[in-house]
Amino acid sequence: MAVLVKLDDMLHARRMTLSELAERVDITLANLSILKTGKARAIRFSTLDAICTVLECQPGDLLAHDPSTRQEKEE
Amino acid sequence: MSIRPDLLSTTRLALRGLVGLNILLGAGIAGLFALSLYAPIWLQTALGARTQAAPSLMTGMRLVMLIGLAGIPLAYLFLTRLLAMVDSVRDGDPFIAENARRLQVIAWAMLGIQGLNLAEGLVCAVFPLELDWSPSVDGWLGVLLLFVLARVFDIGIRMRADLDGTV
Repeated sequence: MAVLVKLDDMLHARRMTLSELAERVDITLANLSILKTGKARAIRFSTLDAICTVLECQPGDLLAHDPSTRQEKEE
Repeated sequence: MSIRPDLLSTTRLALRGLVGLNILLGAGIAGLFALSLYAPIWLQTALGARTQAAPSLMTGMRLVMLIGLAGIPLAYLFLTRLLAMVDSVRDGDPFIAENARRLQVIAWAMLGIQGLNLAEGLVCAVFPLELDWSPSVDGWLGVLLLFVLARVFDIGIRMRADLDGTV
C-alpha cells in the first residue's frame, strides 16, 4: 500500500499519546493502533473527521501517498 | 434473529441421523442390486412383480437401483457440508469463505440429485416399471436458489473481509 498514515508524527508534534487520542475520539486503542502502524485497509470519513477535529489538522496532514513504499514492499 | 442453541443441536442431531440413514440406504440398495444379479426371480417375487415379467422389467429395476446408488454420495456431500455449516454457526462464526464453498458444493450436489431424478423419469418412461414418478419443479428451483445463495454468501464474506480492515 502506497498510502502512508502520519498519525505518529502528528501525535508527537502535539505531545499526545495514542491512548489520549483514543479517549478523545472515542475509537478503540486497538483500532487506532492498526491505523498508526499502517495495517488498516480503509478509513471511515467519521474516523478521519474525529481525528482531524481533535488534532486540529486536515486529512492531508494525516495521509500521504508514496509509490516508492509500494515498490519496496513488492521487492 | 438468532438461532436458538436447542434448535441448533436438534438440527445437528437430525443431520447426523440422516447421514447414517443415507449410508444404510446405500448399503440396502447395493444389497438389492446384488440380489437382482444373483437371485432375480426371488427378488421379483419379493417385490411383488409377476414371475413371468418381461426381462426388461428387471433391467429397469437395476437401472433405478444404480441411479439410487449414484445419489448416495451426492446426498452424503449435501448432508455433511450442511452439517459443517451448522457446526460453524454453533462455533459463532458462520460467515467464512469455507461456508461459501460448502454452499456451492451443496448446490452442485443438489443439481446432481435433480439430474438423477430426471434419469429415473427416463427409465420409468422406457421400461415397464410401476413407479410413481413426476418431475420435481421445487427441486430445480432449490438448485437455482442454492447457487444464488452461494454467490451472495461469497460476496458478503468478501465485503466483511474489507470491513475487517476498516478503522
